[in-house]
Amino acid sequence: MPPIVQVNDLRKRYGDIEAVRGISFFVEPGEVFGLLGPNGAGKTTTVEILEGLRRADGGSATVAGVDVFSNPSGVKRRIGVQLQASAFPDNLTARETVRFFAACYDLEVDELALLRQVELEERARQPQAKLSGGQRQRLSIATALVNQPQVLFLDEPTTGLDPQARRNLWDLIRSIQARGTTVFLTTHYLDEAEILCDRVAIMDEGNIVALDPPRKLIDDLLARGFTKPVLQQKANLEDVFLDLTGHEIRDA
Amino acid sequence: MRQTLRLFGLLLRAYLRDRTALFFSLIVPLMLMVIFGYLNLGDFGRVSVAIDDQAKNQSSAQLVQILNGIETLQLTELPTDQALTKLRRTELDMLILIPPDFAIAPARPGQTVPQIVVYGDDARPQQVAVGRQIVSQVIDRLSFAITQTAPVIAVKDETVQGVRLRYVDFLVPGILGVNVMQLAVFSVAFALVADKQRGVLRRIMATPVRVPNLLAAHVLTRLVIATGQVAVLLLVALVLFNVTIVGGLAPLLVIALLGSVLFLTIGFALAGWATSENQVPAIAQLITLPQFFFSGVFFSKNAAPALIRPVTNLLPLTLLNDALREISVQGATLWDVRTQILGLLVWTLAGFILAVRLFRFEKF
Repeated sequence: MPPIVQVNDLRKRYGDIEAVRGISFFVEPGEVFGLLGPNGAGKTTTVEILEGLRRADGGSATVAGVDVFSNPSGVKRRIGVQLQASAFPDNLTARETVRFFAACYDLEVDELALLRQVELEERARQPQAKLSGGQRQRLSIATALVNQPQVLFLDEPTTGLDPQARRNLWDLIRSIQARGTTVFLTTHYLDEAEILCDRVAIMDEGNIVALDPPRKLIDDLLARGFTKPVLQQKANLEDVFLDLTGHEIRDA
Repeated sequence: MRQTLRLFGLLLRAYLRDRTALFFSLIVPLMLMVIFGYLNLGDFGRVSVAIDDQAKNQSSAQLVQILNGIETLQLTELPTDQALTKLRRTELDMLILIPPDFAIAPARPGQTVPQIVVYGDDARPQQVAVGRQIVSQVIDRLSFAITQTAPVIAVKDETVQGVRLRYVDFLVPGILGVNVMQLAVFSVAFALVADKQRGVLRRIMATPVRVPNLLAAHVLTRLVIATGQVAVLLLVALVLFNVTIVGGLAPLLVIALLGSVLFLTIGFALAGWATSENQVPAIAQLITLPQFFFSGVFFSKNAAPALIRPVTNLLPLTLLNDALREISVQGATLWDVRTQILGLLVWTLAGFILAVRLFRFEKF
C-alpha cells in the first residue's frame, strides 16, 4: 500500500526563522505515527501544513493521496482534526456540537453513534461547556470523526488530563486505530508516544533527527553504550497513584 | 444553501439560549424608550411661547385667544426685551411679536402687509418648528375666515392634526435605529472575536466548510434576532405609549433589516481587525457613540453643530433614522425614502469591502 501521508523536502520560514528545514517522511496506512520534539521544533507548523491550515514555502506533501498545496479543501474532507485547545461554538449541547461539525462537512451523521464511540452518549443533551476536560477531549475526537477520516490528526490530546482520563483516551485512540484509521499524533509525553505509536519522528530545530519504532530507538541508544545513571525502578509514582485510585475514569 | 440553513439553525438556537445577552440587548433600548418617552425629555408637545401684543386691537386679541386655545402651546404675555432674555436662557422656546399695525383684513393696494415676527430658540429646533407651523396655520385660517377666500380650511385642519405629533412618535423610530446599530455591531464583533481568541474559528477552518455559507449563517441569525427585537420594541411602543405609526410595518422592517446588514458589515470589519476582546468595546463605542448623539435619535439631527452637520447628515445611522422616521411619522413609502436607501446601500458596500479586507478566515 502506498503511504497515506507523504512529505518531501517540506520548508517553511517565518521572517528570519526557518521553522521547517526541508523534512521528508511518510506515514503508513493504519499506523499510529508520533511527531515528537521540544517546543519550537517545528511540529505544529508541520502538522498545520498537512491539515491544510497553513501554506508551505517549498517541497511537497500529499495526505490520503491528495496534494496539500493545490487542494487543501480536498485534504480537509479526508482528514479529522483535533486542535490543542478544544474549542467549540458557545451554547450548544454535545450532540449539537457534533451536528455543527457535520454541517461544516455538509454531511448527515448519526450523532449519538459517534458520541457512543467516545463514551459520551449519556452526555448528549448536556451543554458542551459543562463537560469535564477529558469529556471535552473525547467530544473533540467525536467531532473529528464526523467525516470518517482516513487520517486523524491529534495535537497533544492528553495535555491537562488526569492519569485515568489519559489512559481512557489512549484506549479510545487504540480503538480508532483498530477500525483502520491512521492516527497522526503530536505529544510532549514520551510515555504516551512509547505506548501508542508504531513509529515516531523526533524533530529538533526544523529537522527530523530520528524516525523509527520507539523500541528500536531505545535499543539503538542502548547499543551505543547508554546507561541510566539511576537503576530503573520496578514501579513509579504514577503506578502508585493508579494502584490507589484505580483505573476507572472519573469524569464519565 | 442547505449547509447555510443547517449552520443557521444551530447558531440561532445557540443565540436564543443566551437569555442574558438577549435580555440585555433589549433592555437598553427599552430603558431609553421608557425614560425619554415617559419623562417626555425633549417633548415638543408643549411649546412655551411668549407673546408681545403691541397692537392691542380686535384682530390681535382674536389671534391671542385662538393661540391660547391650542393645547400644544404654553402661552405667556411678555414684553419683547424680557422675552428675548428668557429665550437666550432657553427658558422660552419662542416669542411672537405682534406689531402695532397688526390687522386681519383684506390687503389694499399700496399698503404693506403687517408682519408678525417670530423669534425661535435655536437650541430647541423641534419646538420652534412646531410653534412656527401652528402660528402660520392659525394666521392662515384667520385670514381665510375674514377675507372669505376659497374655503380650504378642511385641508388646513388636516395639517393642524399633523402637529399633534408627540415626542414618543418622533422618538420610537430613532430607538429602533439605535437598536439595529448596536445589535449588529456589538453582537457580531463580540461573538466572532471571542471565537477567534478561543480558537473556535481555527477549528472550523480545519473543516472544508464554505466560508461564505458560514458567514451567511451568521448574518441570517442576526437578521432574525433583529427582526424579533424590532417587533418587541414596536409592541412596547404601541402598547405602552400608543405610538402612531403612519406608514406600513413592512417598509419599516425592510429599512430596519437594510440597516442591520449595513451595520453587520461594520461588525465583521471590526471583528476582523480586533485581536482581543478588550479592543472590541472601545472601537465599537468609537463607531456608535457619535451616531448615538448626532444622528437624530433623541433630538432632531439638526441639533448637531452646524459646522459638522454636512458630515453628520450622511452618517449611516442618520440615513437609517431619517428613513425609519419618514415611514413611521409621515407615512412615507419605500420609494419616498429612496435617497436614504441609496445612501444605506453605499455605506453597506463600503462596509462590505472593509470587512472583506479585514476579515480573513485563513489567518486564524
